[in-house]
Amino acid sequence: MTMQVIQHIELSSASSTIDFTNIPQNFTDLSVALSLRSSSAPSSSAINDGGITFNGSNSNKSGRLLYGQGSAAASATYTDLYIWYPTSLATANTFGNISITIPNYANGNVKSTSHDIVTENNATFSYTMIFAGLWNSTAAITSLQIYANGTTFVAGSSATLYGILKGSDGTTTVS
Amino acid sequence: MPTATYIPLQTITLSSSASSVTFGSIPGSYKSLVLVANYSHTASDVDALVYLRFNGDSSNGSMVGMRGNGSTTASYTQANMFMSYAGGITTTRGNSIIQIEDYSATDKHKTSLVRSDLSNLKTEAIANRWASTSAVTSIALVSSAYSFASGSTFSLYGIAG
Repeated sequence: MTMQVIQHIELSSASSTIDFTNIPQNFTDLSVALSLRSSSAPSSSAINDGGITFNGSNSNKSGRLLYGQGSAAASATYTDLYIWYPTSLATANTFGNISITIPNYANGNVKSTSHDIVTENNATFSYTMIFAGLWNSTAAITSLQIYANGTTFVAGSSATLYGILKGSDGTTTVS
Repeated sequence: MPTATYIPLQTITLSSSASSVTFGSIPGSYKSLVLVANYSHTASDVDALVYLRFNGDSSNGSMVGMRGNGSTTASYTQANMFMSYAGGITTTRGNSIIQIEDYSATDKHKTSLVRSDLSNLKTEAIANRWASTSAVTSIALVSSAYSFASGSTFSLYGIAG
């Protein structure tokens, strides 16, 4: 099967991180689906930031963001692989959705990431975002951590790690 | 046993640089297609772009896109289809993900959604339309200047409906 669940984690209690370790190296790409909400609002805002870390390394990360929040669009650069999610100030019981694609996670090239993010909120303050990330390391990804900055993810927050296999159907050609 | 719905059709890892990559003889038995490109170019060029072409057609395409380059935003339309349009190309590795719905239908034009992420240049989203009711049987990615670098990978998947 091409797209397989490697692991699904749903928090039973609040935690500042969600961790995938010992990631098998036999897939081609990784895909991560996140449903997150934080227990507090460190910046007194309905959204807060966090990030992802590979192999425990907090260096050599960068990215560019494009976002819209209903009345304006903006762009920014970062020195981390960022995610954003609703906080305790967002509409109750509302979680944000994030999808992250990581092609060729196990090969010897640097690792580029694509993040699609929505911070749900039944109010005038919510965001839709796209983010281009780079972990400037040629190491194969063997672990992945999702972390919250200054707060914890609430119980019920979840993360699913998928492995995707390349292949050939014997009919489609490529040149 | 769950039914497999995300089917690998073909993958290429370039052993040398190439100005274009073409998937052909695409079977029409799926609902959607997803193409994942992880690539760099042989040189950086702020004006270069990557065309997306179905069935070799360089006409009948249009798009609307938006991009953020880290400081400004832009939105644009063009009378062509693209995998990457604004901001240029780079020697740093990036991703493009193309989703093509109802690619084999013969009663509608074909739409595709593209995300192109080059972390040292931009993040971009494009909605393309191919004004043809023909089934998509080939997909070409054509770089306007400088080739895709050796080691770039392109994978095509069929999504069962």
